[in-house]
Amino acid sequence: MAAAAAAGSGTPREEEGPSGETAAPQPQAPTSVPGARLSRLPLARVKALVKADPDVTLAGQEAIFILARAAELFVETIAKDAYCCAQQGKRKTLQRRDLDNAIEAVDEFAFLEGTLD
Amino acid sequence: MASSSGNDDDLTIPRAAINKMIKETLPNVRVANDARELVVNCCTEFIHLISSEANEICNKSEKKTISPEHVIQALESLGFGSYISEVKEVLQECKTVALKRRKASSRLENLGIPEEELLRQQQELFAKARQQQAELAQQEWLQMQQAAQQAQLAATASASNQAGSSQDEEDDDDI
Repeated sequence: MAAAAAAGSGTPREEEGPSGETAAPQPQAPTSVPGARLSRLPLARVKALVKADPDVTLAGQEAIFILARAAELFVETIAKDAYCCAQQGKRKTLQRRDLDNAIEAVDEFAFLEGTLD
Repeated sequence: MASSSGNDDDLTIPRAAINKMIKETLPNVRVANDARELVVNCCTEFIHLISSEANEICNKSEKKTISPEHVIQALESLGFGSYISEVKEVLQECKTVALKRRKASSRLENLGIPEEELLRQQQELFAKARQQQAELAQQEWLQMQQAAQQAQLAATASASNQAGSSQDEEDDDDI
């Protein structure tokens, strides 16, 4: 029953192999299920960013997925925090300084102080 | 999206993706451009931060590949533990989708065509292929033969020209 068996290799592309190269086709991100979109961030880019670290050898596909989701949550959080600052300043437009304030106000965002001019 | 610069450190998350997220998080809020730019950079930094930490955790675990567990531990240790429950939902979704895809590909094979029919078609295709191979081989063989015959005729013709009189060899039929 060779014909059927050969086609059964529809397994998701696991990056656990020795090559460690970024797979050219995009990893299949589950987005078709309603209410369960994975992330707004392009996974290939997230993966490229992870690989840009010379110490990193291999990262599994699922790890990339959840890292992308975490980054998305991060953006949401910092945006909301910054918006609070803008509101305190009675402004309707989010300015850069609102982000600066949000970053300084939260301990966990200390790592960002290098990105501020 | 071709990044031809080749410098990995210039990589960031695309602006459009960030804009979309900001818009969803803060609908109807105006955001200054330089603020957006900063968010892009912060997001990139965040990814570097978490992946670096996850990588260290991975190395300590003596595994070679960064796993979701490593990322989760990294989030925890860096103070982003509040993200973990949502992030775990993604993991669940991954596994569900992977499972569905495996099922779907096997369902697709069984769809419509019964196994015996598939077998029969397979045998048919093999037989056809064998036949084509045989025909091809035979053609090649004939061509080789003809070429050999030509060569032989040419050889005997020149030989008999040199020899002068004896014409008998030309009547030889080599098949």
